[in-house]
Amino acid sequence: MKKRHHAIVRITHWVNVVALTIMVGSGLRIFDAYPAFARRGETFCCYPFEHKSIPANLTFGGWLAGARNWHFAMMWVLVVNGLVYLGFIYTHGEWRDLVPRRGVVRDAWEMVRFYLTVRKDHPRQGKHNALQRLVYFSFPIVGALAVVTGIAIWKPVQLAFLTHLLGGYVWARYWHFLAMLLLVVLAFGHIFMVFAVDPYSMVAMVTGGYKEEWSPEERNARPFVHLLPAHEHAGTTGAPPTPPRTPPTA
Amino acid sequence: MSDSTPRPPRRPSHIAERFAIDRRRFLMASGGALGAAVLAACDSMGPKSATGLLKFAERKNESLERALFRHTSMDVPSASAKAAGSHFPSYFISKQVPVWDEATRGVWRLQVGGMVKQPLSLSLADLASLPRTGYRLDHFCVEGWTAVATRTGVALADLARLAGVQPGAQYVDFESFDDDYHESWDIDSAMHPQTIVVYAQDGHYLNAAWGAPARIYSPVKLGYKNTKYLTRIMFLPRRTGGYWSDRGYEWYGGV
Repeated sequence: MKKRHHAIVRITHWVNVVALTIMVGSGLRIFDAYPAFARRGETFCCYPFEHKSIPANLTFGGWLAGARNWHFAMMWVLVVNGLVYLGFIYTHGEWRDLVPRRGVVRDAWEMVRFYLTVRKDHPRQGKHNALQRLVYFSFPIVGALAVVTGIAIWKPVQLAFLTHLLGGYVWARYWHFLAMLLLVVLAFGHIFMVFAVDPYSMVAMVTGGYKEEWSPEERNARPFVHLLPAHEHAGTTGAPPTPPRTPPTA
Repeated sequence: MSDSTPRPPRRPSHIAERFAIDRRRFLMASGGALGAAVLAACDSMGPKSATGLLKFAERKNESLERALFRHTSMDVPSASAKAAGSHFPSYFISKQVPVWDEATRGVWRLQVGGMVKQPLSLSLADLASLPRTGYRLDHFCVEGWTAVATRTGVALADLARLAGVQPGAQYVDFESFDDDYHESWDIDSAMHPQTIVVYAQDGHYLNAAWGAPARIYSPVKLGYKNTKYLTRIMFLPRRTGGYWSDRGYEWYGGV
């Protein structure tokens, strides 16, 4: 087993899963109290579902006040947890595996071509492929946007400069909603790829350990293709691997 | 030394077998855990044991919000925002729109009391004769909607000066004739220049739906903190909760 994720990365990852789930659920419950963006007496250009209810089973908190209490408590967990994570990867150098490198767009395009089977062999990669880098790098940025837009709609009078900067309360509320939506899309893309391409990363994110032959690059793995470790699908005959020669016993 | 003898490598097939079971179990377990978490989250209030933590967070948030509070932070609605006018919703808790019945209750008067040197009892005409304060203001509802209206009345800070509020008064309670509706505020928010005892909206005296004869209004508080159908303003040494604050909404409700 090679060490893949430091304990701090693993802990902040799973705390983030819980905090973000509760933030999204309680946020949707709050939004459902008035599922529209337009000021009273006006119309809003850019949301096609004005006044359409959010399905209750996507929400958390039970009712508006309950959801608000959860939202305004869990926001601190989300922020502190995010800062611990960013502080750690900054001081320990892990950010190098996440910040997009030169040519990341081209590399990401190569990954897309590989997933679409246009390209036969898995592009070379380090700890993460170029698509992962882009997603893992944008996640904290979108998270920060969610926090800033959230503050803007929490304190639109006391921190009016911030709300004005975002185009006023109505728009700040809209940006907050979009940031949430983007986080959800990124998270679901991430979860899908974990199960479809690299389930072993679950082991890595729980125990911290990982094996070379598990890596998607070694397995030449596309979604649902070559899920087994590298040495298992390498053979073409299906014959059992020959046992290694045992040293002569004394 | 046993350390020097190389141990036979484990057979890959064993690893593969063992791993296959582990992974299946692992996936099943994680799938089950995920499902349970989703089910638990479905339209639930969250675990009861979290209540204390949520209350703690609310208190800490209130401290932060009070530290952020500035009397100079004013609400200035977007210039392009339309006045909500008749689209302004009317919320009340009574079975019907609360209307002050002069025949049974006599002439409506607003009482200002508690920790004051000179308690006041003001008719609507008295209020209208006092120095007038008016602002075009946003209304921030806890539900998430906003609406713009011009609110006119007497700044609460002016009334406080008139009544001679004593230094120990840290809280203000706004009582109403909408059943038992009331909400209490911190004195800082109450003395904000945009906190107004409102008797007119968009240039007309309030109608019954909007809280006639008078209501408190300030953009520094969420809608539910702004008591309509006002009867009494009490300056008090401690907080006295409120209709929605006692039912789970934040007591501070600052904007």
